Amino acid sequence: MNGLKNNKRQKYILLAAWVLPSILLFLSLGVGTYKISWAEVFNTIRSALRANQNLNLSPAAANIIINVRLPRILLALLAGSAFAVSGSVLQSLFRNPLVNEYVLGVSFGAGFGAAASLVLFSRQFPPQVAAFLFGLLAVFLVMTISEGARNSMMAVLLTGIVVSAFFQSLLSGVEFMASPYALQALFFWLLGSFSQVTWPDLLWTGPMVLLGLFLLIRMKWRINVLSLSDDEARALGVNVKKERFLVIALTTLITSAVVSVSGIIGWVGLIVPHAVRGLVGADNRLVIPVSAGLGASLMLLADDLIRAFSPYEFPVGIITNLVGIPFFLYLIKRSKKSWG
Amino acid sequence: MVKTKKLFFSVCWPFLLISSFLSINIHAFSALSREKITIKDSLNRQVEVRVPAQRIICLQPELLRILVALGEGERVLAVDRFPVRYDHLAKIIFPEVSKLPVVSVTGEDANLEKIMELNPDLVLVSPSELNLTQNLSRKLNCPVISLSSSGRIDRLLEEIEILARLTGKEQRGEELKNFLVAGLESLKQKLNRPGLKKPRVYLSFWGSLLRSPVNYQPVELAGGLNLTSQIKPIHQGSDTAVLKLETLLSWNPDLILVHGLYPPEERKITVQQLLTDPGLQYLKAVQEKKVFYTFGFWYWWDPALVLVECYYLAWLFHPEEMSGVDLMVEGEKSFKKFYGQEGLFKALCDRIKAHEWFKK
Repeated sequence: MNGLKNNKRQKYILLAAWVLPSILLFLSLGVGTYKISWAEVFNTIRSALRANQNLNLSPAAANIIINVRLPRILLALLAGSAFAVSGSVLQSLFRNPLVNEYVLGVSFGAGFGAAASLVLFSRQFPPQVAAFLFGLLAVFLVMTISEGARNSMMAVLLTGIVVSAFFQSLLSGVEFMASPYALQALFFWLLGSFSQVTWPDLLWTGPMVLLGLFLLIRMKWRINVLSLSDDEARALGVNVKKERFLVIALTTLITSAVVSVSGIIGWVGLIVPHAVRGLVGADNRLVIPVSAGLGASLMLLADDLIRAFSPYEFPVGIITNLVGIPFFLYLIKRSKKSWG
Repeated sequence: MVKTKKLFFSVCWPFLLISSFLSINIHAFSALSREKITIKDSLNRQVEVRVPAQRIICLQPELLRILVALGEGERVLAVDRFPVRYDHLAKIIFPEVSKLPVVSVTGEDANLEKIMELNPDLVLVSPSELNLTQNLSRKLNCPVISLSSSGRIDRLLEEIEILARLTGKEQRGEELKNFLVAGLESLKQKLNRPGLKKPRVYLSFWGSLLRSPVNYQPVELAGGLNLTSQIKPIHQGSDTAVLKLETLLSWNPDLILVHGLYPPEERKITVQQLLTDPGLQYLKAVQEKKVFYTFGFWYWWDPALVLVECYYLAWLFHPEEMSGVDLMVEGEKSFKKFYGQEGLFKALCDRIKAHEWFKK
């Protein structure tokens, strides 16, 4: 009886986690400095969906909704999902609750790529592409160097720390060499924000993130198995090495794709999976999809706070940290007994 | 013979001792003999300095230019990396800068030992580098003064006056100040028509569409209104505001001015980019193609460019009032006055491709 109740509750949570971002998406379209009425928001959406072409729309308001707010909101949703899913998957894979989406060196790899593009090549090589490629390179180095170690998961974690430190040093070196002009642009990128996103950015990031998320959600059962010991996973018929590599490649793909456009935004991949496990337990069949929905909602809410209340463009990473760290401490306090 | 030797040593030893004592302390004596003045710098610190300063380390590009304009470039012993590596204008007005040792990098700490070795009697820094100012003040046995005009002409005039006092060039300083004040007064007369409409101007500075200065006096002096002046800077003491794109769109400025004091290949934001950006197509300035480059300022400002900038902006804002003004002539006049040579403004315009800006 209790099991049935739990199942029902979990289904409601899953449904809520997926419906919430859609509601927030619509509400967020009405949030911003530029005064736009809800009627205009609604009419613009109808017009964009070709439901009614004869609506009397203000071109300026329609431009803001379609070209300024919508890509930003969509990127916030994608980023939140990508970070939360990456975090939850990697925590299961490494059987370590302190692992986050940047543990394999993506952040500093991408940071160095963007820095090299902005400072050394004067944007001749787009910073988004450079960030993406160097994010992938960092993880490739981690996987190659740690391959063959006896305790492979521990080796991957340690190599991740070392490779991150290496790219962090390279990033510092580039910062030191940068002219003050380039440094300004670099700082803006490194702080992490959705304000600069355009439709072309979204068009090349979106498909990669959606594909990665889709595959990771599809692999949720296998991720459950990978969170067991290697012997147990093999006994259940899983090719541990191949599957693990695939999961890491997919988390790297979605994290790099987002970081390359948004810059480095922390904490989401750590907070959301823990909150979700508090709600639905440790089963990845629920943790991963619920994390995707809640991560998207959390990130969008954080960005909405900036768009609604801050007079300036404020790095969204600061909000996620300010909200996330106390929340994380609350979770630790609440779970003290079970952790003990 | 022995007696002669004894006599020689008894006379020479005291003489040698006194002369060596004097030679060691001659620098200290000369420093002590100089007048001591107190300067209030841009960080509101009271700094005591013996004037005229003879051995200057200048880590602020704007102050280096003023020293050159005062005719005291040769007193500069070392500089920061900016004028040597990135500053296309410094090399035009003061080619010797390339030979000076570099003792600091913008945003980083300075090479203290090298500075000490050069034995300066004055170090000039930028207030934007607060840590550097504090560190040098604590560790060096010489005054450290932090100055910047930050886009304000009253502060620039004050800077010229302070540096003129510090180098004992009060007369030359007064001459430069009078030139600036007279030029601005002449501009004021030109724009003195009742009912002259002030265009609402947005400034996109420092390599980003959304970074904008809260203070930029040339806009007001040229008869415009800097829209960013209505909001607060990102932090106390800063000149920068970082806007939200929607704020810019809701302001809907009459003109957008893009920071253009870089060679074209180094520009992060271009006029063409803004004119073709789909998100900006509903802005009045974009629709009417009123997006232009401007000289602007960084944490430094070129004193000779100030007047040219005011004239140029007035020419953009009020073309009828400024119809008789030749901007190249005004530019050359200002640069000749400050840096004493012909053709410097033209050289700058060649470097940053600014000739095109002055075409109707």
